Amino acid sequence: MVGPFGYTIWLLGALLEATVVVCSVFRGPLRRYFTLNLYMAVSVLVNAGRYWVFTRHGLMSSEYIYFYYYSDAILTICLYFALMGLYAIVFEELGVAMRLRVFMMLLLIGTTLFSYSVVHQSETRMLTRYIVEISQNLYFVGLILTYVLWAALLKLRESRVRVIQIVLSLGMYFSINAGTYALRNQYPHLRMVWGYVPLVAGVFLPIAWIYAFMKFDDEARLAPARLAAVPR
Amino acid sequence: MSRISSAIVLAMLVLTGAMGLKTVVTTHGDSSVLVANGTAPIPPTPWKNGTAPIPPTPWNGTAPIPPTPW
Repeated sequence: MVGPFGYTIWLLGALLEATVVVCSVFRGPLRRYFTLNLYMAVSVLVNAGRYWVFTRHGLMSSEYIYFYYYSDAILTICLYFALMGLYAIVFEELGVAMRLRVFMMLLLIGTTLFSYSVVHQSETRMLTRYIVEISQNLYFVGLILTYVLWAALLKLRESRVRVIQIVLSLGMYFSINAGTYALRNQYPHLRMVWGYVPLVAGVFLPIAWIYAFMKFDDEARLAPARLAAVPR
Repeated sequence: MSRISSAIVLAMLVLTGAMGLKTVVTTHGDSSVLVANGTAPIPPTPWKNGTAPIPPTPWNGTAPIPPTPW
């Protein structure tokens, strides 16, 4: 049963995701951050589809369950491509675009093969298990990739505020969801709390990206820290 | 060639790290699924509380099972 809070969060999330795309169109970075906007646009469409199925069949219906998990896999793949786009932006000056593409595609192929190896002995609902397994594994791959990108930002002394803001928000989003999942398994009696945290995180991510697109332009840089005057 | 090799090694490293992290996070798990996209209400997993029809058991009745004919 979905209460008023659930509906409010759902509507708010969808509206904020649409706002990210609109802001991106009006502020100009649509092409540069195409994969991020693709993820948000697909998320809006998926939300609309989920609402359509939900209102016709209900939360516990097999139609909604299958639509939800299959569309979740599509969104996770889009999120992976969004990360790919961020890597391309961060490493654009190093001229390693081709190597980066090879790396990301190998990782994607490796993840799909690994997922298949996990579920290939399942006797029932093999395709569904495979889709869910890919989604799960890609999610954790995305989590690791975000932290690697974060480390690369620090190593390269990246100062573009918008890029930093987007990567940090993505890192927080991944971490909140993974942390919530771990805590939910550890403390199952607080299931109600853990059920709502990912939804709130789903609202946080578009807000952070709207902030990044509206507040900063692409050339905005972090001011260097004041140099410490060392007395001689 | 070395570029391709380094890309493969890096991809394997990230994949290993991600699967290790997944193992840590899903320890004590009840086979529920981590869903993290969008704000739509989360349904039960398809194989935990699914609504697909349950097939009949391959044997019928409660009579004692006879020995195999051979």
